[in-house]
Amino acid sequence: MKGKQLSRFSSFLMIISAILVMLALFFPWWRMEFFAPQYPEGLNIIVYPDHLEGELEQINGLNHYIGMAQFNEESFPELNYLPYLIGGLSILVLLGAFIRKKAYLISLIASFLIGGAIGVWDLWAALKEYGTNLDPMAPIEMEPFVPPIIGENVVANFTTYSLLGTGAYLVIAAFILLLIPLWKDRKQ
Amino acid sequence: MKKWIPAASGLAAGFLAATVFFADFSTGPSGSATSDSANKTNAEKVYVPFGEKDEYYLFASGGHSGQMFIYGVPSMRHIRTVPVFSPDSATGYGFDNHTKELMGDYSWGDLHHPAFSETEGDYDGKYMFATDVANSRAAVMDLKTFTVKDIMKVPNTSGPHCAAFVTQNTEYMFLPTRFSVPIGSEYADLDNYSEQYHGVMSAVTFDEEKEKLDIAYQVALPPWSYDLSDAGKKMSADWAVMTTYNTEEATTNLEINASQADRDYIVLFNWKELEQKIATGEYDEVTGQKMIFPEKHKGGIYLVPVAKSPHGVDVTPDGEHFIASGKLAPAMTVFSFEKAFAAIENGEFDGERNGIPILKYESVMEREVNPENALGPLHTQFDDEGMAYTTMFISSEIVKWDPATGETLDRVPVQYSPGHSVAAEGDTVAPDGKYIIALNKIAKDSYLSVGPSHPESMQLIDLTGDKMEVIQSAPVNPEPHYAQMIKADKINTITVYDKDESNPNAIYNQEDAKIVRKGNEVHVYGIAMRSKFIFDANAKRPDVIEVNEGDKVVIHLTNIDFDQDITHGFAINQYDFNMEVQPGQTNTIEFTADKAGTYPLYCTNFCSALHQEMSGYFLVKPKN
Repeated sequence: MKGKQLSRFSSFLMIISAILVMLALFFPWWRMEFFAPQYPEGLNIIVYPDHLEGELEQINGLNHYIGMAQFNEESFPELNYLPYLIGGLSILVLLGAFIRKKAYLISLIASFLIGGAIGVWDLWAALKEYGTNLDPMAPIEMEPFVPPIIGENVVANFTTYSLLGTGAYLVIAAFILLLIPLWKDRKQ
Repeated sequence: MKKWIPAASGLAAGFLAATVFFADFSTGPSGSATSDSANKTNAEKVYVPFGEKDEYYLFASGGHSGQMFIYGVPSMRHIRTVPVFSPDSATGYGFDNHTKELMGDYSWGDLHHPAFSETEGDYDGKYMFATDVANSRAAVMDLKTFTVKDIMKVPNTSGPHCAAFVTQNTEYMFLPTRFSVPIGSEYADLDNYSEQYHGVMSAVTFDEEKEKLDIAYQVALPPWSYDLSDAGKKMSADWAVMTTYNTEEATTNLEINASQADRDYIVLFNWKELEQKIATGEYDEVTGQKMIFPEKHKGGIYLVPVAKSPHGVDVTPDGEHFIASGKLAPAMTVFSFEKAFAAIENGEFDGERNGIPILKYESVMEREVNPENALGPLHTQFDDEGMAYTTMFISSEIVKWDPATGETLDRVPVQYSPGHSVAAEGDTVAPDGKYIIALNKIAKDSYLSVGPSHPESMQLIDLTGDKMEVIQSAPVNPEPHYAQMIKADKINTITVYDKDESNPNAIYNQEDAKIVRKGNEVHVYGIAMRSKFIFDANAKRPDVIEVNEGDKVVIHLTNIDFDQDITHGFAINQYDFNMEVQPGQTNTIEFTADKAGTYPLYCTNFCSALHQEMSGYFLVKPKN
């Protein structure tokens, strides 16, 4: 039985991974920057696991011209439970460091993958909802659009840049830290 | 028959000659000045490209416009006009409740001398004070928003031209008067001028917390005219000086009759000592003010003889000297505070006037400076090395000289007739040097002609080279009497007004907009946002206000665009007002719906692509 345990080094990496996931709670995961001739300094939507930051009032004020729905914390119920999911994941990873079972590790990696996929889908769905569900009464008529999750987009006088935040990178790093034990202890 | 030939050829020759001699075939500015390479370099010195900002703010008094003009230096671009003592429809100043109350019953003012608040003798960039010579008022402007916070009417005085000057830590702003009047401005025969008239000076305090001006005490000085003044610095920090004219006490034709005596006086006073008198009850209570009468409450005030009818008196940055500019006498006189203190100590007096001891001229005077043919010295500023720059109104120039030696160092002609000049941080304990601006009273032929009367002219002079050099010239509306120049990074403005949840008149959600009727009063709690008004969120038409003829209407409007420079205006056709709401600001206007009918209302300050659509209706139902 003992031989089937993951190495101490792998255990150590999993502890680090758990810490990174926990840390990610306090950093933004995703952001969108808006630039226009009148806003050379840029406006921002910054998404944290539990709240939004940035110049939301200004962005909403401008978006109403094209009939986009109000962008605020109330419209994202995810913000209420995401911190618990992420915190829970961190604890599960930490447990893995003590359980030291390969099967457990694989299930952790699988939950990262599934969670990540759901997260990306959720964000994409939100972007699609906002970009295509435009009020037909809006003063400025606009072709529906879906801003990319990562990358550049042009809407009227605004150029937007979507990018991942520190939190997302921390989670990616945590994920990689989980892959290393899988490789190192591949013989077991 | 051929008589027409000589006549026609004569005419043709005349036209040809006239064309050759007088026609101008060039386009744009002509003359050699534009192609001079020195001028090209000067152009670079004042050019501030987009993305960069000016190095200094210039606050120029607007004189009888009642306004303050804000310029950038060195570009000399006019940035903003801030209304202070006069209404201004562009910003709704004097129309909304707050500013209407500030204006009192007056519709104009004569803004003379601006003064920054100071800390340790240096401009601190927090507040700007100003006085109104027309209606004896003092005002304070908050430099976070460049808006006036308080205006106070000063009793017993009439025309505080000699103000405003603030003490080293803004303990007081003193307002000595240009015109003498009886206490309370009561009627008194001019034959009794010397007995019944006083030149009352006020010690004004400012409460930063409440943003309110107040009068700590007044001093009933002799019935003379008080012209200009300055507060002491460092070793002379407890003292202040001011110039007088008409010590002849003439009551008519002052041009002649106030110019007879060879000497007038500089009033030298110790404000700490006056403060002490108030604390120990050495004053009379008149018209609700604590009034010091120098004949009765002796001490703390002295007279220093000076060549007749001086204009400016300016304390050197080290605080050791004060310099009087002669105006009618073509000389500047340097006086020593140290000598003055010694003379007071030793009782070196030469009689008294109205109970105020006169110090011996020789005991206080250090040097008379008389640059050749420099006429009409009015006002002196200083650079970082303590050198003095005096404007010469009559010989139309600025003269640079050394107060320590009296030596003339440089002169530069200006166009034309400078009143005051303003150096970079020139009134502080640490002037910057670099720039001085001549505030010229006459522009005459400097700019494109606009008829018989012209704007005033401000000329920027570079002080960094071996010679002073005029590098820019900017027209300015009437009329900068004085200005102050402050380093731009000392001023910290806000970009939007913060939400004030404690303000009962403010609403920040569209859904909260409501119209409340109380008897024949209609209270509107509305919002302005790009690009609509919402006065009643639940109404069929949220941008309509309907009242009955004769109703009192109170409109509270909050601009909920928390976005820099997205300012909205609010006006109702034919109701003769305009109100401004800056980003995040709540403002209130009150009026009586005395005209029945249909009146469109609209946003007056261009705010967005759909600004034209930002309108609604004000409907007034007729009484039966």
